[in-house]
Amino acid sequence: MDETRRNLLKATAALLVDQWAGARLGALANEPSGGVGRKVVLVACGGIRREDTFAESGFHNIPHLYRDLLPQSAFFPFVRNAGVTSHYNTTSSIISGNWQRVDDWGKTPPQSPTLYEYLRKRMGLRQDQTWLISSNKALTSKIGASTARDFGPAYGANVIFPKQLLINAVVHAAAAGRAVHSTDRSTVQPEIEAMLNSDNYDGLGWSVSGEDSSLDKLTLGTMQQAIEDLVRTNAPATGDEFTFLVATEVLRRFAPSLLTITFSDMEVAHFGSYSLHMAGISTVDRLVYELWNQLQSLPAYKDKTTLFVLPEFGRDLDGSSTNGFFNHRQNTESTRVTWMMCLGDAVRKAQIIENPIEQTDICPSIARLFELKNLDLPGKAIPGLWL
Amino acid sequence: MMQTTTNGVGKIAQSDAATLAAYRKQVERLPVTMRPSLNQQLAAWDSLFPFEQRQASAFLNGLGSLEPSALDAMIQPLRTLEAKMGVEHWNFSQAGDTMENASMLARSQYYAEWRDEVQKIFEAVNAIARDSASTASKHPRLVLIVLPDSLPVDALNVWKPWDRRAQIFKIAGDSRRVSELLIQDHADQPGIGALLARQGSLESSDMWLIDADSKLNSIQSSTGGQSAFSLSYAVLKPFRDKFLAEVNTVPKNIEATDQTLNAMRHRNWEQWWPAELAGQDQLRHFVVDLFLSGNGALIFSNAFVEWAASEALRRARPRVIVARFGLRAKPKPFTGIAIFENQQQISALPDVDDPEGSAVDALMLARYIWLAVLRYPEQEQTFGLCISEHRNSAYLIAPEGTTLPWGPEHAVTPEELSAGIGRYLSTLAV
Repeated sequence: MDETRRNLLKATAALLVDQWAGARLGALANEPSGGVGRKVVLVACGGIRREDTFAESGFHNIPHLYRDLLPQSAFFPFVRNAGVTSHYNTTSSIISGNWQRVDDWGKTPPQSPTLYEYLRKRMGLRQDQTWLISSNKALTSKIGASTARDFGPAYGANVIFPKQLLINAVVHAAAAGRAVHSTDRSTVQPEIEAMLNSDNYDGLGWSVSGEDSSLDKLTLGTMQQAIEDLVRTNAPATGDEFTFLVATEVLRRFAPSLLTITFSDMEVAHFGSYSLHMAGISTVDRLVYELWNQLQSLPAYKDKTTLFVLPEFGRDLDGSSTNGFFNHRQNTESTRVTWMMCLGDAVRKAQIIENPIEQTDICPSIARLFELKNLDLPGKAIPGLWL
Repeated sequence: MMQTTTNGVGKIAQSDAATLAAYRKQVERLPVTMRPSLNQQLAAWDSLFPFEQRQASAFLNGLGSLEPSALDAMIQPLRTLEAKMGVEHWNFSQAGDTMENASMLARSQYYAEWRDEVQKIFEAVNAIARDSASTASKHPRLVLIVLPDSLPVDALNVWKPWDRRAQIFKIAGDSRRVSELLIQDHADQPGIGALLARQGSLESSDMWLIDADSKLNSIQSSTGGQSAFSLSYAVLKPFRDKFLAEVNTVPKNIEATDQTLNAMRHRNWEQWWPAELAGQDQLRHFVVDLFLSGNGALIFSNAFVEWAASEALRRARPRVIVARFGLRAKPKPFTGIAIFENQQQISALPDVDDPEGSAVDALMLARYIWLAVLRYPEQEQTFGLCISEHRNSAYLIAPEGTTLPWGPEHAVTPEELSAGIGRYLSTLAV
C-alpha cells in the first residue's frame, strides 16, 4: 500500500479510537490499569490452508512469517480445530477454551466464559484492558462475553469491527443510489460520518452501552478531513489494513492486557478468486510482521508480550464436493488442521513443536500466562512456553 | 416395486401425480434428516434434469422395494443418531434444504457420524436400485475448457497436475480455432452438437456451453443439430444485477435469510431473464439455484463458469461441456472492501481488467472443473481438453485405453485436434 494511502487510513483509525477514548473519558495507555505485567496479543486469520502457507508450495506467500518470524518462534505445525469450522464458533471456541456450537451468525454469545471475562473478573481489569478487533463480518459484538452464570457482559471485552464501518458506508451510499467516485467527496464520506455520530454503535459492532458516543467538534472536523482524503485516494483499500491500524491505535492508547485481532481479507475465497485469496494471505503476512515490530517498539509491550498467530481453520480440499478452497466445512485434515506461531515473552526457545495440539488448548495457556488458576477448562497447556 | 411412466429419456410424465405421491410416501419412511433434499426434488420435479429424475426415481424405487424390516434395520443407526442429536427439538424443515437445517446439523457434535450414516443409507439403497436397473450405456463424453487469449497463463501445469493421464501439446496454428471447429458444423466434419444428435441424444441438458463472456453463443449460433444449454455470464447481466441486489437485502439472521432465499427461489423472474433464453424454464431454475448456492457465481465470471460447470456435471451429467473463462476487473479503490456489492453501481470509476489475477483464478478453476468430472463414474469415458489460447497449447486427458494419434513432441493443428475429438465422440456407446 502506498504511503499516502496508509497515512490516511492511519489518521482515520486514530480518530476512531479517539472517539472511543472520548466516550470513555480518557483511559490512556500511559495510565495502565490492573497491575498486569504480561501482555498477550492473539491474531486469528480466517481460513488458510497449510499448503498455501507453511508448506513448500506456500512459503512464497508468507515471506515474513517464514523468513523473519519463524526463526524466533515456537511453531506448532499441527493445530486442530475439532469444533464447528465457522468463523463465529471457531473464534469463540479459541477465546473460551470450549468448543462452542452456537448460532454461526453470532446471534447468541459463547456459552462458557471467555478469556476476557476470566481476566476482568479475576484480575479486576477495566473493560479497556481486553479487546477484540475484527475484520470479519460473520462475528458480532456478542462474542465479547458469554452467557455463563456469574460472568457475562459486565466482564466482557470491547469489540470493534472497523472494516464493517467502511463497508456499511459504501453499502449505504449504494443503497441511496450514490455511486462512489474517487473524486466525489459527497458520497461515502457522509455515510461514515453519520455512523460515527450515531448513538447506536450496535450496527457497527461497537460493544458500547450507555455512553454518549457523539464526537466533539475538534475530533469531528479532523475526522471529516481524514475521511474525505481517504475516499479521494485511488489505492485499493483492504479491510484488514484498516483493522490493523485501529488495533495499533488501541495498543498505543489503551495498552490492553489482552487484544484479539481477527483478519479476513483471505475470505474473498468464498467468491472464488484464488488470486485475491492469495493476496489476502500476503496482507496478513505483512500485517503480522508489522504488528510484531510495533509491539517491540511500544514500551508497554516490549519484552513482556506473547503474540499468538493462527488461522481459524484451513479450507476444503481441491476436488471436494464443497468446492475446494471456496469453503471451510469439510471434515478433513485440510480444513481442520492448521498451524500456530508463538512469539515473544512466553517462548522458551525457537523451535518447532510437532506434538499435535487443539485450538481449545490456547485459552488455558493464555490463562496460565496471566497466572489464572483453577479454571474449569478441558484443554491442556501448550508445550514449549513459559507458563 | 413401483412402476414409473417415462418418456424416451426417462422423465416421468408431468401428469403422473400418482407416482410423485407414491414417491413422497417413500420419503416419509426415511429418517427426518434425509427428507428435505428429496422432498425439495419432488416439489420441483419438472425443473429437474432427466439425469436427476432418473437418479431420484431409481433411489425411491429402490427404497420402495425394501421390506419394512430390512429398511428398519438399515435406518436404525441414523434414527438413533438423530435422537442423540436432538433433532426432534430443532426447527428442522422437512420440505427442503435450508441454511438453518445445514447450520444445525453442522453444529452438532455428531455431524461427522451423521454424514457417514446418511452416506451408508444412500449407498445401500442405490446398490439395490442398480441391481434392479438395466446397465446404462457408456457414451463418450467431452469436457472442453478454454482459457482465452486475454488470460496470460504461465503454463497449463504450473501448479499441481490435473490428472496422471494428462499430456501437453503445442498447437500448430491458431488455437482460437479449436472451439469453433468443435462447436460449428463444417462440410467435412459435423460439430459436436450434430454428433450428439446422430447418436440419439435429445436433451438440451446433454450439452452445455458456459461462458464468462458471450463468445460461445456467437460460435454456436451458426450451428445446427443438437440444441444446447447456453449460459453466458455477460448475457445474464441484467438478471444477475437484479438478483444480487435482492441477495444483498438478506438480513444477518438465519431464519429470515431462509425465508428471503425461499421467496427468491419461487419468485417470477421472467422480466429480468434474458430474451435470448426465453422459454428455457429448466435453465432458469438451474441459474436461480446456482446463484442461491453462492460460490461467487454472482460476483466473478470465472467463479460462475466453474460453479455452473460443476453443478451441471452433478445434476445433468452432460455428454459435452464447453467452459470458457474470461477476465475480471480489479477490485476498485475503496469499494473493493465490499466485494459482494455490485461494483459498477457503487463506484463510478471505470472497470480496469486484471489479466494476471484472472489467469491465476481461471487456471485454478479450470482444474476444479476437471476434478469435478473425476467425482462421477462417467469420467471413465470423458475426454478432457483445456486450451490455452495465450500459450497456444493444449492440456489433454484421454480416457484409459484411448490411443492418441499424436505424441507429446508433436505439434497438433486445430483441425487435427478437433477431428480426433470428433472421432472419439463418434464412437458408439458401450
